[in-house]
Amino acid sequence: MSEYKKLHPISAIINFFKGIREAIFPLIVIVFLNGNFSGGSPNWFSLGISAVVLIGVLLSGIFRWIRFTYRIEEGELRIEYGLIFKKKRYIPIDRIQSLNFSEGIFHRPFELVKVSVETAGGSGGKQKAEAELTAIKRSEADELEAVIFQEKQGHKREPDRTENGQERELVFEMKMKDLLIMAITSGGAGVVLSGVGVFFSQIMDSLPLGMIYEQVKGWLQFGVLVIASAVFSVLLIAYGAAIIMTIFRYANFSVFLDQDDVIITRGLLEKRQMTIPKNRIQGLRIDENLIRQPLGFASLTLISAGGSVKTEAEQQLKLFPLINRRELSKALGRILPDYQIDAHLKRPPRRSLRRYILRKSWLTWILAIAAAVLFWPFGVMALVVPVFFTVLGWLSYLGTGFSLVEKQLTIRNRVFSLRTYVMKKYRIQSAETAQSLFQKHAELKSVRVVMKSGAGGAQAECLYLERTDCDSVMEWYRPDQTQA
Amino acid sequence: MREPNQRISERALLLWRIYGGIQTGAVVIAAIALQIMIQLWDWPAWLVLIPLGLILLLLIFSVWLIPSIRWKRWRYEVSDVEIELQHGLFIVTRTLVPMVRVQHVDTEQGPLLRKYRLATISISTAATVHKVPALDEREAERLRQSISSLARVAEEDV
Repeated sequence: MSEYKKLHPISAIINFFKGIREAIFPLIVIVFLNGNFSGGSPNWFSLGISAVVLIGVLLSGIFRWIRFTYRIEEGELRIEYGLIFKKKRYIPIDRIQSLNFSEGIFHRPFELVKVSVETAGGSGGKQKAEAELTAIKRSEADELEAVIFQEKQGHKREPDRTENGQERELVFEMKMKDLLIMAITSGGAGVVLSGVGVFFSQIMDSLPLGMIYEQVKGWLQFGVLVIASAVFSVLLIAYGAAIIMTIFRYANFSVFLDQDDVIITRGLLEKRQMTIPKNRIQGLRIDENLIRQPLGFASLTLISAGGSVKTEAEQQLKLFPLINRRELSKALGRILPDYQIDAHLKRPPRRSLRRYILRKSWLTWILAIAAAVLFWPFGVMALVVPVFFTVLGWLSYLGTGFSLVEKQLTIRNRVFSLRTYVMKKYRIQSAETAQSLFQKHAELKSVRVVMKSGAGGAQAECLYLERTDCDSVMEWYRPDQTQA
Repeated sequence: MREPNQRISERALLLWRIYGGIQTGAVVIAAIALQIMIQLWDWPAWLVLIPLGLILLLLIFSVWLIPSIRWKRWRYEVSDVEIELQHGLFIVTRTLVPMVRVQHVDTEQGPLLRKYRLATISISTAATVHKVPALDEREAERLRQSISSLARVAEEDV
């Protein structure tokens, strides 16, 4: 497979739309700021500019397609591209971690896929060695995957799996019910709930307001109501949109096991397939947000060393976007049996409680008291915020803990969501403890470990533990002196 | 836990005091400029107290206290299997990096560091970078050599 290959011509169209998406804001600005629509005659200047930009984007999309070639040669995936300057990107196949496929609406009718090549981004992710084939035939993509797989295996051992290795085992699937619960209880819901809270508190509090300022009563009530209901309906619409988006994105969510790879597929309009080699998995994170936790739901995210910064932004590595907390252990056992997620956690001592509360709430107390004094008496309402953060601090004290079981460290903390990190000793890049002078007096200490995640790192920390507990984590992490 | 046994170079103390001095110098220039403006435009004379107070604070903290606390706190230790660091003013941080996690080591030297024959060493893992500032340049060189020869990347490593 060493001949030069081109992408499918539809790439030119996709490039065009991508280009438009990037140019859309300047275009709108030009048309609407210069445009003179009230006069009836169109503004030729701005229309002309828009036309030139559109044609430019179209041409660059076409030329980008013409110039783009890829091939496999001498154990490397070689991509050559570039509009004006010819750029070459050669990626050694050994460095390729996985190929991810996705299908957008343009891909569907022609049986095409977009292929993203994920590599082990070198140290610190400085050399960004990843590539994207905008649109190729499904069959070509499968062939490419097979060739890459063979090349990789060639260095180690003969392929020991059947043709194409399509023996996938379905290990997890999301039902429509789960999908709905997930969409409704996502972070967006919190925003809406607080919006509802603000809405009602505004109505309540505008009533005594009226008794004092009799003359402005009507106006104030009206104004507050109008603003509050406008904000409320915007929030509601955004929330509805978020729910629909989530359902579209996560529909048909299934996880497969294929030898040493975990394969995640999802999506209704745009189908996505992510392949995560098991040996790239650095750890797990279980999230339980403030709404899901009382309902007994959680989500589980893989911390993987592969991929790019973008991967993380799209949250592609959610292994279980929503799962019942009780089923979590069993479901994970089928995929990653060596991780124990129900370890008994050791909690910080009682004397750390006020530190947790102060840490979360001191700033909001100062601000809210200032607001209460400045805007007396209505500013007092602001005290709701620090009370919330005080409760949050107390909850985060209750939630925090760690456990050491053989080679596994579990750390749990709470920012807003309760987050549990589960990791193996040999995956931890570095560990540190921190102790302020006050904490030294109180015999408390914090511990933080860093794992590799995408191009950067993922931190897990446990604050204000018993000093001896913290030191025991460090001693556990300390390499065996006899290893050398 | 036992403290790491190595200290950084004593010349680092002098260097940090110089850095503090440079900061103070910038404020001194600002104070002079302010004094001129007060003369020119009849601004209230007490305004000059602000930069003067700042200069005093900088002299006490940036030049005198902070460098010496920082220097006293800074410790490091490099064994065959691990690197251990300790630093921090108010919050003391202890860091442990297993040698097998180290990916590469760099030393760097700015003009002031070079003048005092000092160098900063940065130890990178796949996810983090750890710096030891202001080591004696021969010591930094020796450390870089020994760490890079000890650092091996394990198979299951990133």
